[in-house]
Amino acid sequence: MGRFRPLAGFLLAALLVTSCGRFGRKAASAATGPRDVVISQLYNEIIWALGAQQSVVAVDWSSTYPPAIKSVATIGYHRALSAESILSLRPTVVIEDGNVGPPQVLQQLHELGVPTKTFTHTNDTIPDLEALIREMGAFFHKEARAEELCQRLDRQMAASLEAVKQYHDSPRVAIIHYGQASNVYLTVTGHGGGDAAGAGQMIAWAGGRMAIGGRSGMQRLLSPEIVAEANPDVILMTAFGYDKLGSMAAAKTLPGVAETSAARHNRIYRVTEHQLMYLNPDTGANVLTIAKLIHQPPSQ
Amino acid sequence: MLEAIDVSYRAGGRELVHGLSARFEPGQLHLIMGPNGAGKSTFIKLLSRLLRPSGGRVVYAGRDAAEWADSELATRRAVLSQAMELAFPLSVHEVVKMGRYPHFGGRPSRHDEAICQEVMDFFDVAVLADRSYATLSGGEQQRVNFARVLAQIWEPMPQGHRYLFLDEPLTFLDIRHQLDFMKKVRAFGRAPDVVTVGVVHDLGLAARFADRLILMRDGGIAAQGPAETVLTRDLVRAVFDVEPSFVPASDGRGVHLVFD
Amino acid sequence: MTSPSRDSGHRLLFVLLLVLCLLMAASVCFGAIDFSPAQIWRALGTLWPGHAGGTLNERIFMDIRLPRAILCVLTGAALGVGGALMQGLFRNPIVEPGLVGTSSGAAFGAAIFFVLTGMLKFTAQPWELPVAACAGGIVATYMVFVLAQNKATGRSSIVMLLLTGLAVNALFLSGVGFMAYIARDPQARSITFWNLGTLSGANWHAVTTVGLTTIGGTLLALRYAKQLNALMIGEEEAIYLGVNVNRLKWIVMTINVVIVAVATAFTGVIAFVGLVVPHILRMIKGAENRYLIIGSALVGGILLTLADLVARLALHPAELPIGIVTSVVGVPVFISLLRHREYVF
Repeated sequence: MGRFRPLAGFLLAALLVTSCGRFGRKAASAATGPRDVVISQLYNEIIWALGAQQSVVAVDWSSTYPPAIKSVATIGYHRALSAESILSLRPTVVIEDGNVGPPQVLQQLHELGVPTKTFTHTNDTIPDLEALIREMGAFFHKEARAEELCQRLDRQMAASLEAVKQYHDSPRVAIIHYGQASNVYLTVTGHGGGDAAGAGQMIAWAGGRMAIGGRSGMQRLLSPEIVAEANPDVILMTAFGYDKLGSMAAAKTLPGVAETSAARHNRIYRVTEHQLMYLNPDTGANVLTIAKLIHQPPSQ
Repeated sequence: MLEAIDVSYRAGGRELVHGLSARFEPGQLHLIMGPNGAGKSTFIKLLSRLLRPSGGRVVYAGRDAAEWADSELATRRAVLSQAMELAFPLSVHEVVKMGRYPHFGGRPSRHDEAICQEVMDFFDVAVLADRSYATLSGGEQQRVNFARVLAQIWEPMPQGHRYLFLDEPLTFLDIRHQLDFMKKVRAFGRAPDVVTVGVVHDLGLAARFADRLILMRDGGIAAQGPAETVLTRDLVRAVFDVEPSFVPASDGRGVHLVFD
Repeated sequence: MTSPSRDSGHRLLFVLLLVLCLLMAASVCFGAIDFSPAQIWRALGTLWPGHAGGTLNERIFMDIRLPRAILCVLTGAALGVGGALMQGLFRNPIVEPGLVGTSSGAAFGAAIFFVLTGMLKFTAQPWELPVAACAGGIVATYMVFVLAQNKATGRSSIVMLLLTGLAVNALFLSGVGFMAYIARDPQARSITFWNLGTLSGANWHAVTTVGLTTIGGTLLALRYAKQLNALMIGEEEAIYLGVNVNRLKWIVMTINVVIVAVATAFTGVIAFVGLVVPHILRMIKGAENRYLIIGSALVGGILLTLADLVARLALHPAELPIGIVTSVVGVPVFISLLRHREYVF
């Protein structure tokens, strides 16, 4: 009974509303080719690298690399999605990395027969990442380009590792990352973990050592004790946190930082998450970038 | 009839009142008097069943007070105190109507509405019926409360008596309304089935209007009985520590108390 | 003598119902996808037996849009009625259901759920989150009840309930904070977003559950409207009028917990509605509880539907968390009413 009461009211509203022409808005017409909705920063990065982005109609808010991606429509934050937003784009497939929420949304998509896809490989290691690139290459029919990317990655990795050998010092590096959810600064531990799974490996390849000892892969809240105890030679700050502070001088005001060797020698550098925190197709070149940063001689 | 039989009450480790025994007959105005801390308020609360006695019994018309159901007692016992707080907007009419709540289940009957009108007329607040209670002066609010409370027991109940309790109701009233109220209460209490018991702070008013008086001091009853026998110079001096003089009232009933 | 005020109360409720229907119609038509009346009619036609499937659009309407619109109204009603009950019970206009632990308990239940599923890495069934949230809400409110009771008399004064509620709230909210702290980044964000509320999980299961508790709870609460009226003039006065105040408190609190915890469990924490809705009604027509409870259900539905419309249309096709919108939509409404009438407490 309750369902039919709105009918009476809306018939009235419909009369008012049809005049303002909103029903002309197109809920997208018949698909002329694949329409992908991709909800993963890493997947999007690889898709753009593969050159397969023409079929992508929407991405999530957190996918911000490469810069060109910002002109694509977005369907919201990946842990606060809504099925209808996704469906309004008439996707032929929804590609996600298992990290989406709320859980009902995926269920609703399945019930309405919208296919979802999660790739089996991840980016924990370089071989893993290359397997992922190839898997995605096969999916998007860009196998040749995928091969190119893998070979470029191998080449650049080899070259970078070779170049790193010229450095004889092994600086102790601390990474300060800004956790947006909890509004606090975090330090990445030896094993990295979660969003920073690649950081430890990157530092090692770049010829450095992680200054802050690891618990099992967690990031830890930045505190004076942790930083002072570690006394890193170099501090790398991810872009969002660094830009919030604005300058190296401001960065030195974080708890415990001012007393570190890094601060005294002005060895605090800004890096993007793309460069440091996770393994991606550009990692080969990134290793060299990081290496140059951390081995830079201290400036007085 | 209302009876207190050796009533005592403990709270917080102290015995506030003890050994209270009294009979309250219908048709008469009983007033409890005494200095601060004598236990008057506690006694009234025990009589009106807001508090349960620690010892002794309170008996309504032969039945122990504890045996009466809440809803049953509410149709024949009303209490007027100053402790009314209203944090929300209600009209005067809605407040008075609450007095009839024990008498109707879902909606008030026309009879209930008629009674509301009668009590509002009785206390001169009918003209305020649609005003918001919160916008009234203190005195007007108190008169609205009188109306509400009396609406509760406006009509005789088929069996048993009606009980009206007054716990210091005269605050906020100017002298004209104080006298007016006491006269109206006494008139109402003349009905053969109404038992009226009150606590009034003003010695002069109490002496003027009471039929029977109970003098309390230090948690116990110092004296009780008809006003003439209780209001002696010795007793007043003993209970209140003041020196009274007596002046007969012009209507021949009651006396005025004057003090030096 | 019939009181004129009673009639205009009925008229007002009828007008509110009309407004609600209009808004529901808008809610059902507009969004990430717009549905024309013809499409809606065809979609409803799929209800008839023997009518298979339906186009994707029709199924989106029946499985996502329509339950969402209905759940929105039900949730708004639940929060509105919860607010009216709490304010009547505490005789305090700045009280809302969250104050006795229901919302913070639900948030804590949800936070634990997010963190545990993240740590233990198991994929949760969609119904497990509402259960966790509901359990949290019930535990927290029960704690308030028990702790607020005076051991000697077995009664709990209103003041004790308020203070205990404050303490328990603080406890559970810091619990949520702790969960967010130890959570890894994805779970921490889930917690944050759950705390802002969302209707995107609406399905028919949610509608029937919340519908049952909200409608049933509201009807039950109406039976106690008269007693709550009496309570308005004071606990003592209510006792003299024959109200068993202690029993009333327990019953009304329980109704409130069930209504609010179940709704919160499906939609996350949506604040502000329970606080503002009864105020709006009191400003218009006074505080009589029968009118207030029904009116709060209607106005709660109206407010939340409005908020949901904004949430879905503002950042088209993405969505805003609805808790943000309720604050932004509710405050101007509240303030404009404050300025137009003299509101005497």
